Amino acid sequence: MSDFKQLRQQARRNWQELTNSKIPVIYLGSASCGIAAGAGEVLESVHQVLKKLGRKARILQVGCIGPCYLEPLLDVRLPGRPRISFANVTPQKVEQILKKLLVEGDPWQAQAVGHFDDGDSHRDHTGFLEGIEPFFDLPMLKPQVRVVLRNCGLIDPGELDHYLARDGYQGFRKALRLSPQKIIAEIATAGLRGRGGAGFPTHKKWDICRQQPGKEKYLICNADEGDPGAFMNRSLLEGDPHAMLEGMLIAARAIGATHGYIYIRAEYPLAIKRLRRAMTQMRKAGLLGSKIQGSSFSFNITIKEGAGAFVCGEETALIGSIEGQRGMPRSRPPFPAIAGLHGKPTIINNVETLGTLAWIMRNGAAAYQELGTSDCHGTKTFSLVGRVRRTGLIEVPLGMTLREIIFDVGGGTPKPFKAVQTGGPSGGCLSEEFLDTSVDYESLAAVGSIMGSGGLIVTDDDTCIVDLARYFLNFTQAESCGKCTPCRVGTRHLVEILDRIVAGQGMADDLIKLQKLGETIKRGSLCGLGQTAPNPVLTSLRYFRAEYLEHVKEQHCRAVVCNELIEYRVLPEKCTGCQRCVSVCPTGAITGPRSEPHNLDAEKCIKCRACYEICRFDAIAGDAIVIKSKQE
Amino acid sequence: MAKQFRKITVTVDNRQLQVDPGITILEAAEHNDIYIPTLCSHKDLTPYGGCRMCLVEVEGLRGLPTACTTPVEPDMIVRTRTAQIQQERKEVLQLILSEHTSSCLICTEKEECRKYLNTIRKAGVTTGCRYCSRDGTCELQEVCDYLELDEIGFPIFYRNLPVEREDPFYDRDYNICILCGRCIRVCQEVRSASVLAFKQRGRHTVVGPAFERTHLEAGCEFCGACVEVCPTGALAEKVAKWEGTAEREVESSCSLCGVGCQIRLQVSGERVISTLPADDPLVNRGQLCVKGRFALPELVHHYDRLMVPWRRKSGNPLEISLDEAVAIAARRIKAGRERMGIIVSSNCTNEDFYVAQKFARVVTGTHHIDTTSRVFYGSGFNAYTGLLAGGKPLSTVRDADTILCIGLDARYGRSVVGVELRRAHRRGAGLITLHPRPHSLGVLADPWMQPETGQELTLLRRLVRLTGGKQAVGGKKVAGAEPLKVARQLSSARKPLILLGSEFYHYDNSEAIHKAVGKLADNVGAGIVALPPQSNLAGSLLMGSYPELLPGGKQVTNRLARSTFAREWGVDLPATAGRWNSYRLLKKHKLDLLYLIGEIPTEERPAADFLIYQHNYPPPQELAADLVFPTAACTEVMGSIVNGEGRLQSLRQAVSPPGKALPDWQILCLIAGKMGVAGFDFKDHTDIQTEIAALTGIEYFTNPSRQLLTIGGVGNFSQPVRNRRQKSGTGTDFPLTLTISFAEHTHRGFLLAQWVAGAERIFQEETVLIGPEDAGRHKLKTGDRVKVTGSGISGSWPVTVLPEIARSYLRLCLTHPRILEQNPQPVKIRKQ
Repeated sequence: MSDFKQLRQQARRNWQELTNSKIPVIYLGSASCGIAAGAGEVLESVHQVLKKLGRKARILQVGCIGPCYLEPLLDVRLPGRPRISFANVTPQKVEQILKKLLVEGDPWQAQAVGHFDDGDSHRDHTGFLEGIEPFFDLPMLKPQVRVVLRNCGLIDPGELDHYLARDGYQGFRKALRLSPQKIIAEIATAGLRGRGGAGFPTHKKWDICRQQPGKEKYLICNADEGDPGAFMNRSLLEGDPHAMLEGMLIAARAIGATHGYIYIRAEYPLAIKRLRRAMTQMRKAGLLGSKIQGSSFSFNITIKEGAGAFVCGEETALIGSIEGQRGMPRSRPPFPAIAGLHGKPTIINNVETLGTLAWIMRNGAAAYQELGTSDCHGTKTFSLVGRVRRTGLIEVPLGMTLREIIFDVGGGTPKPFKAVQTGGPSGGCLSEEFLDTSVDYESLAAVGSIMGSGGLIVTDDDTCIVDLARYFLNFTQAESCGKCTPCRVGTRHLVEILDRIVAGQGMADDLIKLQKLGETIKRGSLCGLGQTAPNPVLTSLRYFRAEYLEHVKEQHCRAVVCNELIEYRVLPEKCTGCQRCVSVCPTGAITGPRSEPHNLDAEKCIKCRACYEICRFDAIAGDAIVIKSKQE
Repeated sequence: MAKQFRKITVTVDNRQLQVDPGITILEAAEHNDIYIPTLCSHKDLTPYGGCRMCLVEVEGLRGLPTACTTPVEPDMIVRTRTAQIQQERKEVLQLILSEHTSSCLICTEKEECRKYLNTIRKAGVTTGCRYCSRDGTCELQEVCDYLELDEIGFPIFYRNLPVEREDPFYDRDYNICILCGRCIRVCQEVRSASVLAFKQRGRHTVVGPAFERTHLEAGCEFCGACVEVCPTGALAEKVAKWEGTAEREVESSCSLCGVGCQIRLQVSGERVISTLPADDPLVNRGQLCVKGRFALPELVHHYDRLMVPWRRKSGNPLEISLDEAVAIAARRIKAGRERMGIIVSSNCTNEDFYVAQKFARVVTGTHHIDTTSRVFYGSGFNAYTGLLAGGKPLSTVRDADTILCIGLDARYGRSVVGVELRRAHRRGAGLITLHPRPHSLGVLADPWMQPETGQELTLLRRLVRLTGGKQAVGGKKVAGAEPLKVARQLSSARKPLILLGSEFYHYDNSEAIHKAVGKLADNVGAGIVALPPQSNLAGSLLMGSYPELLPGGKQVTNRLARSTFAREWGVDLPATAGRWNSYRLLKKHKLDLLYLIGEIPTEERPAADFLIYQHNYPPPQELAADLVFPTAACTEVMGSIVNGEGRLQSLRQAVSPPGKALPDWQILCLIAGKMGVAGFDFKDHTDIQTEIAALTGIEYFTNPSRQLLTIGGVGNFSQPVRNRRQKSGTGTDFPLTLTISFAEHTHRGFLLAQWVAGAERIFQEETVLIGPEDAGRHKLKTGDRVKVTGSGISGSWPVTVLPEIARSYLRLCLTHPRILEQNPQPVKIRKQ
């Protein structure tokens, strides 16, 4: 017991050392999102600049803090000062920032986007921080409540000490003192529901599993996040792997599992690396293995990398995949909680569900209950993407409206809002009239969509609804495992019909066919993939029928997206004859002498958009090329 | 416990049913004659729920559950054919059909078409689309008819996949596959072979071996289980493809090896169109191997079958009547009866054996009756028959906890045993193999003991030593940890079992090997299952078709037995077996007359003035037979065989013999009758069985029971002149080691490959198998000819390059057994 206290004290000291560092500390957002935005180059540049300036600094590669649109994010903490954030940092900008702060000691408020006040230093920073808002007061972050993501971006995910210093493994230690029934009761009071999408009460599933006879039980963490545009789980695992692992310990203790699996897709190499490292640390600290913390509780975890089949996110397919079989769902009953992996009782929880457990155990069910609505407690993370100004990873209390999420957190859309797709490819496409829908399981289901695992794809007038539905259907169709007929063949027919419609060859009865076939697939399919696959079509048909009809009857795409229904035109009055477009056109469709309005031969044009892009962005071009519906 | 078996009440379509708990809704309905359409479910396979045809409504359950996967609950209320369900099924069926050729399923001309299908016209008219060979037996058609589907509301997506015909025995047309997964499940769950799998996903999903291998490469055993369960025509047996539905079914035994699987002959008119496994609990449990499943129809209905008797006149065959042939035979036998021999095939029935040996003993007054098994097993014949006589039934595999397979490959022949072994392995039994080469069980074996070719006896003897002495196990230091581990495994096993395959039958030291196997079994208390390749080896021993043996397995030298038979048959029997046997067919031992019953013992004509040949097929040219009788094949006779376990099994006649062909025993009886010898007036097989039962006391012969018989009197067969072990010519002269084996995939002396298309693809006989390295050194590729020279062999054969043959080893499988002085032996090869 005293071992843990010692461990914790040591961790606290390390954390204090960091916050009271004598040399500057540089934090770099280095999750996959940051790296994709260029954090790797920025890091290199930081090293070079430090060398050039002859300064020493501690560099921490932290996880994703949320606002992806600001990446790469670079924070600097001068000794005894709060952390100051700089957004969209380029390698070139690094030198300016570091010179300003490290050499001149100037917080450079003109460029800083915010500061973090961790309340560890008692100095007065009013002057220093003038004009620099707290980071969490940024419009995107202010409405958020961080439960699952509370450490993301703040701690080094590779350091167990950082996690421990911020009350890590306290929840598990509490769980270790409680009986399994008590843990389950606590989770029941908190009202936690599965965050993987279906929202089944976590404690119910657990209790069924706990009551099964037999010593061998399994716990599986479902980290097979496959929705296009969803990255909540990845960000958590990359930014705070211990949060999920602590949750696994709690869940294992509650259901009596002896072995755990993390089923994670191989496309998440960084998350796997972080998990592996975290598990090694846990073993060293006596938090994993046999007789954990001197108790009678033993638990081990295996990481199982999936090959990236979307259907393996489905429980029974996932189990099959771990067993070494082809990832194909099987019929239930029996439910995995009764007969799952290798025929033994198995609980499969989503990363986010597990990531919430430690917080609940630590802060108590009552505190959790206060979050969210009266029926749906707690928070939910979302990947807010698409045509929204502030994209990123967010966590909001359940019950917030879509409008608040999209406009307050997300900052609205560049063009008038059109629709939001909740729940990824399995979810529904909701129009403006549903913006005031509360985001919780029941309300979303009532309007024909689902909560899903947390993808929120926002679209505006530049998005064609038919094309969007076709995109999702193409995805689910390609990812269907092929086992049951409605899903395998039905989705193919849906795609085929949608292909026709976007090509301007829609037929009068196509919409009825879509509707009828969609419902057949929903009713007739074996697993969740098939049962929800038609949702994008069915909801968009319901709320955007006019747009479908325009495609079918008038061969008109109002968003000018569907290639067959649009054409490129040169506006002679605007064309400066700069020949930029002529040089990029791959088919020679644009001709004309310099300084005279060009001609565009629609026969030759392959609608590659090259001329349009260059005409809009080139300095001397006149924004003269436009894309119009053929019908206009 | 009794409570668990109490029936529960469920209501299906307003009918109250009393059903067993734990079964599915579909099973409950089927037991009560309520039809629920299904395409993917199958009685032998786990529930799947893929085709969605069996959607039903269950009160209290969300959506439409599938009847095949949902277990019944007490007081469940199920509706199977409401308008909504039927509509839903129709929609799903249309989806299936949108990927499937449908002209035979929903066609406006369907009624008319069937009516006028048999029209006789000279001009070509469309009388029925012949797209799929399963037209009429297709389960999809059945479901279409049930749902009265008459149109498809979707465009047709033809998959346009090439029809796969490359692999032998069955064709695959995945354009008409409905992806029900039955073939995959039967391959995994029932056969434990896992050759088939789903590949790709979404619209590209297709069935086949993984990683783009052919079925041959993927380890397919061609057992045909997948073909049997396919609900459509996607998988079709090449031979039976257009034969339609069988008119009747005849249960019989397979006579292509000693396992003796029970089969269901599918008969149409006077043709056996296909064979299917019988659901027999004793031997094959619903499984067959490639031979039993695919070889029989071609074998018994080959266009080359002998139909009429003929005699050789100035070198050419001259058709004669049966009477004439019988008369000639009678005359020749009468003249040369003292110096006559009869060789009878080990594939014959017990009745044939009995009559043949009686014919030899009564008509010719000698013991000149033999099979070729003596040559096949070489020096090990005595020891082998000993193991056979003391053998355990195959069913012991089912509860053995440690199984040692010696020289056994169960991929093609004996694959039924392979299935049992894989099942044993799956339930946790230890599986150990001893084999010098890669073999079908190698992947599962733990360990696979792989001695150098020729060193098997050393290894076996080490095992005998290790399991024998008290101090040997764990005590003395032995070279190699593996034998020690195996010895411990075997010694500590509760129910050890040894299976003996054919790898070492033809070794020059096979006698010592068999004896070591017997000793090993004694040491660890293991049973032995000897798996003879001959379908009726045990029967030939029991019926006394050897010079040394009388019926019932009594020794000829046993005076009491001899006098009993002599009295019953009314003849004097020589007191000793005499010197003649199947070793003595060469020039040195020239006979006046040799009578071959369904057997070709040698490559060349055996030394005899007159050769009578009685067979299903014409004799090879080299044999230069003088008088030929056509005989009935195994599907055309009534009779019995005794399989390798000693189990008496029935052959049942499915079709009439062609032309003038008669059962083997009947021809002998005709000749004896012509010669005026009494005691051969058997009317049918039951007459013979009655006589056997009366004389030998084997009562089961008149009783249909399939009990095990005791094989007695073995172990006293005369051996050829003691093998002289040649001074081995190792070193540069003979750098390679050749192992010779004799073909076991044969029927009545002919290679199956001669009569069955595709058999040559899986059985490699009369070709020198060589590894790629040696082939490279000698610049050989498959199809080239080489001359092989060694101390005991010289000849030229084509070569086949096989990756699994190790460096400096060769293999050669000969059709006809011969006496080998040294095997394996050092040889050299030269490309020709």
